[in-house]
Amino acid sequence: MQSTSKTKATLLLASLALMIAVPWIASDYFVMMCIRVMYFGMLTLSLCFLAGELGVVSLMQASFFGISGYFIAILQTQYQIPFPIPPLVGIGVAVLFAALTGLLVIRVQGIYFLMLTLVLGQLVWALASQWASVTRGDSGITDIFAPVIFGISTEKSKGAFYLFELVIFSGVLYFLWALKRSPFGLMLRGIRDSESRMVMLGYPVAFLRYVAFIFAAFVASVGGVFFAYFTGLINPHSVSLTANVETLLSGILGGIQTLFGAILGTAILKILDLVLSGITHRYLLIMGILFLIVVMFAPKGAAGALQRLWDSVASRSSRGIMSVAKRASDDS
Amino acid sequence: MKRKNWVVMITVIFFLIGAMAGSAAALDEIRIGTIGPITGWATIFGQGNLNGIELALDEYNNEFNGVPIKIVSEDTKADVEVMRTKLDSLKNRDKVHLIIGPSLGHEGMAAVDWGARNPEVPMLIGYSAPEDITMRKATNSVVRPGWTGAQVIFNFGQYCAKDLGYKKIIIVGQDYSYPWDQAAGFIRGFLENGGEEVKRVWHPVEAVDFSSIMAKLLGMSKEYDAVLNNSGGAQVVAFFKQWKQFGLDKVYPQILGQANVPIVSMLSELGDSSLGVYSSLHYYDGNPSAANQKFRESFKKKYGHYPDVIALQGYDAVHVAFKAMKAIDGKVDDPHKFIAALRQVRMSADESPRGAFYFDKYANPVQNIYIKKVVKKDGRLMNEAVKTYTEVSQFGPYADMAEKYMAAPATTRDYPPGDKASYFKEIEKYFGKDYVENLKKNNGWTD
Repeated sequence: MQSTSKTKATLLLASLALMIAVPWIASDYFVMMCIRVMYFGMLTLSLCFLAGELGVVSLMQASFFGISGYFIAILQTQYQIPFPIPPLVGIGVAVLFAALTGLLVIRVQGIYFLMLTLVLGQLVWALASQWASVTRGDSGITDIFAPVIFGISTEKSKGAFYLFELVIFSGVLYFLWALKRSPFGLMLRGIRDSESRMVMLGYPVAFLRYVAFIFAAFVASVGGVFFAYFTGLINPHSVSLTANVETLLSGILGGIQTLFGAILGTAILKILDLVLSGITHRYLLIMGILFLIVVMFAPKGAAGALQRLWDSVASRSSRGIMSVAKRASDDS
Repeated sequence: MKRKNWVVMITVIFFLIGAMAGSAAALDEIRIGTIGPITGWATIFGQGNLNGIELALDEYNNEFNGVPIKIVSEDTKADVEVMRTKLDSLKNRDKVHLIIGPSLGHEGMAAVDWGARNPEVPMLIGYSAPEDITMRKATNSVVRPGWTGAQVIFNFGQYCAKDLGYKKIIIVGQDYSYPWDQAAGFIRGFLENGGEEVKRVWHPVEAVDFSSIMAKLLGMSKEYDAVLNNSGGAQVVAFFKQWKQFGLDKVYPQILGQANVPIVSMLSELGDSSLGVYSSLHYYDGNPSAANQKFRESFKKKYGHYPDVIALQGYDAVHVAFKAMKAIDGKVDDPHKFIAALRQVRMSADESPRGAFYFDKYANPVQNIYIKKVVKKDGRLMNEAVKTYTEVSQFGPYADMAEKYMAAPATTRDYPPGDKASYFKEIEKYFGKDYVENLKKNNGWTD
């Protein structure tokens, strides 16, 4: 058992080291892809957190993502407010918006939750596209520049931007991971599995769901910060229904109930999109077929399928490994 | 060990695969990247542009002085975030020497912002028309061989007020920034040349049922002289159909169209209901010039249908690029020389189907604007020019006071105001008292 946790730690450290080394060993192009996967990953994470822990599907996570982006854009380009105030205000407003809308949506479940979040999400989109004096309508706001952090301009150095985002991304991931394992997370799972039982046991069910909704919004809004800084622009498309549905698709593709599935799904969708579209104009067809295959043959998403594959390979070879390990320990 | 290691393994594999991607290409070719919406609702714009590009390259046998030309075309899905990523791909992965595109308004705004951050990549904007691409946000590396929304419609307002003699007009359009800009340009031309009022009626972008609007228009027919349709795509087709159904063709003289309402691809769908529609643009398909005939016929041969202004944009962009490459002997490796050459290009009426044009200091063309009317010729519907305004810049009649024009507030759904009194108050504030006095003295713009 001891050797297991040791290998696990080594592997984890190795992959972490690999991720940190990316700006030095990989091309600019690959760094850009990683940056993109991480900010969209946070958006998908927020959706998958709600789906996995509350059992509801939200169609407004991109709104929180976009709200923080829009606030950064407006504060920075129209009021010239220096970093780090715009992102903090952006996240704050997104969380506040979640606190308000949460009061509405948290009462309902299933299809009604989907519909309510759809309506609220579209409301944000309409506001972004119609309130032209503030949001500049469909043209969107451009000229957002990434900040200077510790004397390094993340606008000029994509590597620095990547590392900074990696730190925050890992933090968010750890936050969700810890949340899932905390008493709070267990209570949420209890609600998901049997709400009436949790009510009977005296848990403040509505309040717990409400808090979970706000946490999810927070994660999405953090993603929005990096989105706005990296692309340097924001327009209504980022809060549109398309954006929300694409998030849902990434979640389903990767495996909607796990955190790793969220990231894997985003990575597959966003990278495939980029690679395939360079090869053929019919790339959406290929992606559609892929999506169909995943839904039909891997209901737990790509992450679930890969896990099953790994399990079967590991169990077949584990006997061999065990005997090798035993001999090794005998030798020492 | 089994349970969690797979997560780490997959991450590692994924990174290794990714790190191998993105290698540089060879040097003995000229690489041109194209970008635009090739899938999704805006396909007509991206694909049209691309068709024009490919047609023009065919004329050059896909080579320049023996150096082969390689086209890398990328899809934006009409999403600017995707577009930014694809622009980065074209620059970093394909190391292109020139980018042609994009085609949509919001894409253009995002592209010029990208251009300002990547000043070493020359870019020719396609069909994208927001004026700020070559005004308030103009940047050295971005050249637009196209048009701005307001540029092509200033004179249409003037024409409606002076030549058609209308006093009050209703604009019905989709509720987003491109139609807002069109309306703004029209209002300036119309009110400054004797028009009294322009009323704007906005409908949701996706609306196809206009019955409430038709009823409203019917009720307003006593007070207003004409209706200008300011939509696009399926909305125009639905609008024209219901216009007839509600009998509005009997109360109003004819529909006026915004710049790209009766474009070629739309004419076949609209049929005879589009006869007599007035509009204005920097290109008209009925142009008898040799360049236009050649463009139309070779396009028809290659794609099976006649081209419209969208394809023209890609076609002209390639010719502009070749003219610039000739000027620098094909040394596209030096982007700054290439950009400078692009900005110097002057196209003659023999070279471009739209007529002669050259770039102003913000790299937007100074070109002819045609007031066009849909007529039937040899059994086919086409746009004929009824009046030509020559050498119109993107500032239209305000070319001498570009700075003042750019200092005025940005267009919104109800700015500038549509009634004469408040409109004149506004222009007095931004263009000065002398300007207003002159307008009154000359009875509008001097041709």
